[in-house]
Amino acid sequence: MWKFLLPFAAFVALAVLFAFGLNPSRDIHALPSPLIGKPAPEFALTDLLDPEHSVSNKALDGQVYVLNVWATWCVPCREEHEALLAISQQHVVPIIGLNWKDQRERAQQWLQQLGNPYQSVAFDGDGRVAIDWGVYGAPETYLVDGHGRVIYKFISPMTQQVWDSEFMPRIEAARRGGA
Amino acid sequence: MSRRPSWRRAALWLVLLTAPGAWVNAAEAPTVAAAAPTVPGSAPAAAAAATAVDANGQLEDRALQARFEDITKQLRCLVCQNESIADSNAELAGDLRRQVTEMLVAGKSDDAIFHYMTDRYGEFVRFNPPLEPKTLLIWGAPFFMLLLGAFIVFRIARQRSRMPLDDEPSTESR
Repeated sequence: MWKFLLPFAAFVALAVLFAFGLNPSRDIHALPSPLIGKPAPEFALTDLLDPEHSVSNKALDGQVYVLNVWATWCVPCREEHEALLAISQQHVVPIIGLNWKDQRERAQQWLQQLGNPYQSVAFDGDGRVAIDWGVYGAPETYLVDGHGRVIYKFISPMTQQVWDSEFMPRIEAARRGGA
Repeated sequence: MSRRPSWRRAALWLVLLTAPGAWVNAAEAPTVAAAAPTVPGSAPAAAAAATAVDANGQLEDRALQARFEDITKQLRCLVCQNESIADSNAELAGDLRRQVTEMLVAGKSDDAIFHYMTDRYGEFVRFNPPLEPKTLLIWGAPFFMLLLGAFIVFRIARQRSRMPLDDEPSTESR
């Protein structure tokens, strides 16, 4: 009995392990964010386009909003830019940009040439705010609900499909939640 | 005379070969609790900050520098996930090293620094996770494998001792 059961159990255990571990659609670099369900870290930085002004997420209290981390040195950010533009045209929620460890002029040029999907862009030149948000690569996109809690983090270039399948249901749920 | 099923021999070898290695890995990692001296609080942070780092980028306070090296070796660089932030050239690793330096100069304890990092990046940021209920599996697995190996050896040895020797007259019919 043991002779057959034990190898079979080992086989099943390995099969389950490999089904998770070797799944090609799993992004091995995507880490779960410990921020989910916690209050969004507050920030007040200078406005990318107008250094005289500051951008703070305090002003967005009570609103559902999206924070998109990007930089001009980040190739996948270029890739997602068109999708972000299209999404911003739909005016569902404000999209706030966090320009991460970038050069102000290059970032300004980028938005002039490619279009600006952001309601406002905070300029995080030394990357301190990014550390607070647990950013470890760009692009990253966070969803914050009306209670100021981070409810979702997406690591990879944004696409319309991801927006429709991952963001829209959560935005609608957050709004139904009285926020 | 029956031969030992080959799968059992294979399993024995697998366990014997992997268990000691895994156990040594776990044992070699310095325990965090031991490596976390708490620092007398309220260091004169502002005064220290001005003179904290010398021309080579080392903390002037030797004790702080030693703690800096110890801590940054135990924090994972999240960009190149198998390097520590002490070794990595990634920009983010540089930012995190700066953060560790500033917190050390401000008189923060090692625990406070590790907490700061795990609050933002999750337990994954630590190469050396603390022994907690949820990390019991990774700390306990090597010992479990060792026990499993011992059990299999015991079973085989017992079975073998029951086998008749070749030059002994056997009562068993062949």
